[in-house]
Amino acid sequence: MTYKPVPLPPGPAPGPAKPDQRGSENLLGDTVVTSTAEALINWGRRNSLWPFPFGTACCAIEFMGTVSSMHDLSRFGAELVRFSPRQADVIIIAGTITYKQAPILRQIYDQMCEPKWVISAGACATSGGFYDCYCTVPGIDEIIPVDIYIAGCPPRPEAFLEAIVQLQKKVDRETLRVSQALGTEPRRDRIAVGA
Amino acid sequence: MKALSPAGELVELMTINVGPSHPATHGALRAHCALDGETIIAAACEMGYLHRGFEKMIEQGTYQMVLPYTDRLNYCSAMMNNIAFCKAVERMFGVTVPERCVRVRVVLLELSRIIDHLVCVCANLVDLGALTNFWYFFNVREEVYKIWEKLCGARLTNTVTRIGGMYRDVYPAFADDVLAVLPLVESAVAEVRGLVEKNRIFIDRTKDIGVVTADQAIAWGWTGPCLRASGVDRDLRKDEPYYGYDEYTFDTVIGQTGDTYDRIMVRMIEMLESASICRQALAKLKPGPINTSDARLSLPSRSQVYHDMEALINSFKLIYEGVRPPAGECYDALEAANGELGFLIVSDGGTNPYRIKVRPPCFTQWAAFGPMMQGAMLSDVAAALGSINIIAGELDR
Amino acid sequence: MSAHAVPAADPSAAHREPIKAGLDAAALEKILVEQFSAKRDTRDRWNLTLIVARDRLRDAVRHLRDDAALRFNQLLDVAGIDYLAYPGHRGARYAVTYLFKSTVFRHRLALKVELDEDDAVVATLSDLFPIADWAERETWDQIGIVFSGHPNLKRLLNHHEFVGHPLRKDYPCQKRQKLSVNDPMIDQLEGVLLAQGWQVLDRGATGNGIPPGAPGTSLAGPGSESQPAPTGSNTGAPR
Ligand code: SF4
Repeated sequence: MTYKPVPLPPGPAPGPAKPDQRGSENLLGDTVVTSTAEALINWGRRNSLWPFPFGTACCAIEFMGTVSSMHDLSRFGAELVRFSPRQADVIIIAGTITYKQAPILRQIYDQMCEPKWVISAGACATSGGFYDCYCTVPGIDEIIPVDIYIAGCPPRPEAFLEAIVQLQKKVDRETLRVSQALGTEPRRDRIAVGA
Repeated sequence: MKALSPAGELVELMTINVGPSHPATHGALRAHCALDGETIIAAACEMGYLHRGFEKMIEQGTYQMVLPYTDRLNYCSAMMNNIAFCKAVERMFGVTVPERCVRVRVVLLELSRIIDHLVCVCANLVDLGALTNFWYFFNVREEVYKIWEKLCGARLTNTVTRIGGMYRDVYPAFADDVLAVLPLVESAVAEVRGLVEKNRIFIDRTKDIGVVTADQAIAWGWTGPCLRASGVDRDLRKDEPYYGYDEYTFDTVIGQTGDTYDRIMVRMIEMLESASICRQALAKLKPGPINTSDARLSLPSRSQVYHDMEALINSFKLIYEGVRPPAGECYDALEAANGELGFLIVSDGGTNPYRIKVRPPCFTQWAAFGPMMQGAMLSDVAAALGSINIIAGELDR
Repeated sequence: MSAHAVPAADPSAAHREPIKAGLDAAALEKILVEQFSAKRDTRDRWNLTLIVARDRLRDAVRHLRDDAALRFNQLLDVAGIDYLAYPGHRGARYAVTYLFKSTVFRHRLALKVELDEDDAVVATLSDLFPIADWAERETWDQIGIVFSGHPNLKRLLNHHEFVGHPLRKDYPCQKRQKLSVNDPMIDQLEGVLLAQGWQVLDRGATGNGIPPGAPGTSLAGPGSESQPAPTGSNTGAPR
């Protein structure tokens, strides 16, 4: 098929163009939307967060409840649960992390591609919960950086949904420059939900 | 790795690590397998990834403070653990709970068994790729959660029993709600059975996979549905009846070959039997006190506390110190969803448990898993693992 | 049999017979007292536990398992107990309780072995009951009882770098121990292969990049390094 240029709509009468008439929207009409690359990419990222459920304990059962049809995580574009860290954008740590589990969690987090986000679901992942014991990690932020903390033991499915919504807002606020130019992770502002 | 087989052949074995972060291992189990082609020659299993010190933590608090921890043993059926623990402590006191409490506990036990089997079967089917059944079963589970919420406010970790009774009597429409949920259970089971029972793919992936014979299952100490799937007709509810289970008519469900198919089907049909027990128990539910009147366990009523010195002191003692079972060692068990859930309690007569050893039902199943998978294909691991229903919370404690 | 149950062709009808009435506690006590000089546990007020000397344990268990009138064919659990902080306790510091059950008769029994602090060793039951293998590993891990003759006495619940035994009463509850790398488990796998008559010639590249001879990965067989010296001292906790 040969390319036929779309005829331009009849523009205003020739003459010295005013500054606000030179934009591509003016030239192309409503066939295009302009945006910044940042906003476009964040829009895509925000609405297709693929979670990696690092479920180890009771909270994982509530995550199953969140995915199931009653609460339906797919309404927020995050239902495509991936069990490979390479394919996931957000890792949801649902359950107690023990010292035996900790190196694995770190390894999996390291295997995820940037950009990546972390949701710490439930009291155990957030602070160790009521297991203040020789074998439990008192909060996964000892091991990996966390974006969203969810309260509850276990959190209700609504709290999981709230966490996804908050994460989407956070993704929107993120800038590409820091991570691209410096190769470092963007500064993480921590959000708590469900309390 | 290069290895010489028992027959003296030189074989290049491939070792592959399954878990602990693998969808079929549910986050906390690990099996290291040596493969010849796709056949598992040897499997070394490991556990402990969710070992969160249950037995150490509960020595730090009183007996009542153990109850929330028991919720998190088998978190798919939290109430069962509550009731099992309370039953063991009540046995130490020599206290029997009032009849209404017994009936309510039976209803809760059987509903918990249903929702445990729902999760087990649907997770197993998801591991096999049959995702639809997950939606069907989880809808029913959500309906049961609604009852739990009305009962105590929590969905998963309920802590609804107390030593010597219940946290409170059930709400007025409890029986109606349960009776409304039971047909949903039955229709969901019927739907899922219709989808899988004669399904060629399902049968191919589960029939004669992970076979455990009756003698093997007994030797490994298996109990519960997995033992029954191997054709051993043993169920604590029948063999050592507690809570008046001998008054209810129900069948134990047994399989023949002890393969994955049987284990799934035994669970599926046990749900129907449990539903029938629920109905019978509700029919016998009569008004009455829900907590024992034994002053060592139950708080006196408010009016007594305000007018009677002894009741006031008793109330103080129970709240600030907790219950004190007589010194000694006692083991008590009940038929949980996974098998025999037992508590060996060592009491020194004080307010804190001296030592509690849990007898988790799935420990025996997971210990047998390595030998069970020898000679199977790697893809069978997921199917067989789901069918023995390992719950990491009670396995690792 | 259930009306719902899958129609049985019939392999093992014996397992489907109803359970038979078993012996009561007094009769069980009589058998064990007479034949294995057991004694009733004074702490046991629920008619379950009998204490046997540790050198009679294996004989007693074998008898319980094989005798036609007893048939205790299931070992339910192995529980270690540390009596260090038990008020007024005199005598051996540790005890191991074995819980037995039968699928033929309706009876239960617990056998208890008392073990001194400086000699907390008891013979393994892993050749009599396969489940004892793991149950004893757990007891070694948690309480530090050594089971002599055990094929692979490794930690089960705690990670392989853990020092001490957390359920001992002198182990502080919050004394945390971090793990640097996960157990490659190559030695355990090789142990399973060896037990089946395989012979591992070369670990090759499959050892997760771990060179042969790295600590914890001995080729010599399972547990050759984790087999502890029989000592009562709890290295993980100061007295
Ligand atoms: S926060 Fe509560 S529900 Fe979640 S894993 Fe921890 S104990 Fe279980």
